[in-house]
Amino acid sequence: MTQEPKVRLRGLYKIFGNNDKGVLSHVKNGVGKEELLVEHGHVLGLQDINVDMQAGEITVVMGLSGSGKSTLIRHLNRLIEPTAGEILVDGEDVMQLSVDGLRGLRQTKMSMVFQKFALLPHRTVLQNTAMALAVRGSDEATQTAEAQKWLDRVGLSGFENHYPAQLSGGMQQRVGIARALTANTDIMLMDEAFSALDPLIRTDMQNLLLELQEELHKTIIFITHDLDEALKLADHLVILKDGAVVQQGEPQGILMNPSDPYIEDFVSDINRARVLRVKSVMEPLTGTEFAGDVDIRDNLESMIARSGGDTSLHYRVMDGDTPVGELHMRDLVKALVPRLSSSEA
Amino acid sequence: MAFYDGLFKALGLSDWCDGGASNAPMSMADLLAQNSGTDKEGAFFPFPSLDNLNESCSGIIQSRDVTKGIEDGFLAAKPALKTVLDPITQPLSWLLDGALWTFASVPWFIMIPILVAIAWFASRSVAVTVFVAFSIMLLGLVDHYDVAMQTLSIIFVCTGISVLLGVPIGIAMSKSDRLQKSVVPILDLLQTLPTFVYLIPLIFLFSVTESKLYGIAIILYAIVPVIRLTDLGIRLVDQDVIEAANAFGMNSRQKLVGVELPLALPNIMAGINQTIMMSLAMVVIASLVSAPGLGVNVLRGIRNLELGVGIVAGIGIVLLAVILDRVSKAALSRVDMTRVKH
Repeated sequence: MTQEPKVRLRGLYKIFGNNDKGVLSHVKNGVGKEELLVEHGHVLGLQDINVDMQAGEITVVMGLSGSGKSTLIRHLNRLIEPTAGEILVDGEDVMQLSVDGLRGLRQTKMSMVFQKFALLPHRTVLQNTAMALAVRGSDEATQTAEAQKWLDRVGLSGFENHYPAQLSGGMQQRVGIARALTANTDIMLMDEAFSALDPLIRTDMQNLLLELQEELHKTIIFITHDLDEALKLADHLVILKDGAVVQQGEPQGILMNPSDPYIEDFVSDINRARVLRVKSVMEPLTGTEFAGDVDIRDNLESMIARSGGDTSLHYRVMDGDTPVGELHMRDLVKALVPRLSSSEA
Repeated sequence: MAFYDGLFKALGLSDWCDGGASNAPMSMADLLAQNSGTDKEGAFFPFPSLDNLNESCSGIIQSRDVTKGIEDGFLAAKPALKTVLDPITQPLSWLLDGALWTFASVPWFIMIPILVAIAWFASRSVAVTVFVAFSIMLLGLVDHYDVAMQTLSIIFVCTGISVLLGVPIGIAMSKSDRLQKSVVPILDLLQTLPTFVYLIPLIFLFSVTESKLYGIAIILYAIVPVIRLTDLGIRLVDQDVIEAANAFGMNSRQKLVGVELPLALPNIMAGINQTIMMSLAMVVIASLVSAPGLGVNVLRGIRNLELGVGIVAGIGIVLLAVILDRVSKAALSRVDMTRVKH
């Protein structure tokens, strides 16, 4: 793809401590996180992050707690100042912005959804939703109309005059999403937006987000510690460990070819049959006899159900109306076993 | 022979010691001891205090010179202080006199409904409103209506000024750690200094006939909680909400007015409640320096041993305290949006 990325991070470093610029050279010379803490009393937050985030895609940043993912997302709108590096949004360096310019960027280019919702408890749902417009100084009628539109869209019609404390967690986060959508920005930052919700509601919210994305094509940067969530949402997956990117790319590719024991550990726990799709295990089209046609986007679980567990079958893989490859059920079964255990066997 | 003679000899300071002699006022006990001609029998090993050292070496000042020095210093600074403070604090006198005059000249059949209405609009509670009406009637019944109104008017003025000054100071403190570090010791001092000690320098500075004298004493004492709790309230505002406000590009004024103050309001109201209670406590003591009101009757009870007068006035003060406390607490729970019922 030759299109200019919407957001680029170039050589981003963040060190927490009083003399962060001073110890940066140590980090660049390869001093690790623990050594930095013990010998220099500084905490390494992020090191040498290079990520391109394409317009209209969901980029998921995943890592365990302490891996720096929340720190990373707060660099995009400079809620946290980096120690070194460039943050380019639409080709413009966020680091060069004045205080007013930065405020303008936060008002018009980026909106944010928070793990703990962070709604204003003394304002109604409608006023919370219209917050971004109120900050920009739009007139009352526009605020109400826009906020109402997005509240309806996230399924909260009728709750306009409630206060956040009167809503359940899932509904509060819907308000959070409506608030971000009302801001009408190209970029949405979602910091563990669904982590505080229970599993069923989380699935609902993920579907809502995918549905909205289908229609709106925003550039979404989504932070999570949950691999299932990451694989479900991601167009581009970035895996962080100890403040560094261990692997990034298309999620199916990461699942099939983990580059690091850390990621192997991660992927060993998930239901591969549900996450992996035909596309990731198919072979180039050579044969002629097939048990049937399957879609390239089907997941492996549905294939197993369809074949009735018969591993001798072959299927023709279709992308729309054109045949693009073939699927051997034998390969499919092999793909269900993570690479880690296969190398041990 | 005093105990420390040898010490000064050994140090070779005898000449210097014989130089000065103190001229500070002496206490009656000292004078009596001097006139009786007998030196007090010293302890075996006296503490090297200023007075004991002075007995061996008159060049060293006595303790009474220290207190005299403080007094002289204060008196020397008085004209300068007075020229600055007098005009600044003059409006306080006008406000207090105006409030006293207003409360006294509005007839009771208008004043009581107004106060009951204020209680209703602040608390929205039938129980509290009925209690307020009943209490004021009771005070009127025992002919304490006028003095109670005087006390109330002083509290209104002093609390109002405390809030007007205290809230901005509290906001400034919450924004600057350095300011907070320098103001907190002053607040500690104001809160721990015995209330009578405020009055001493104020009596020197202002004439006892001026109402600002007790006004300043009350405000200095009562302003502390509203400052502290405004500062605390703003610092305690949920950091996630502040972060959201930042992420949506609010400027600092929008953040203060739209987020921080509303969320800190329960704490600020708790501070105002405390300020009201403390001004009530101080207004009684301030009757020593001519503050009118119920405190005067308490003072009369103490001075003339009129038990009944003192106790009735005391109960009146308790009634006022409960009224003010209940009304401001009911108002507080009304503004606390974080505890909206489901």
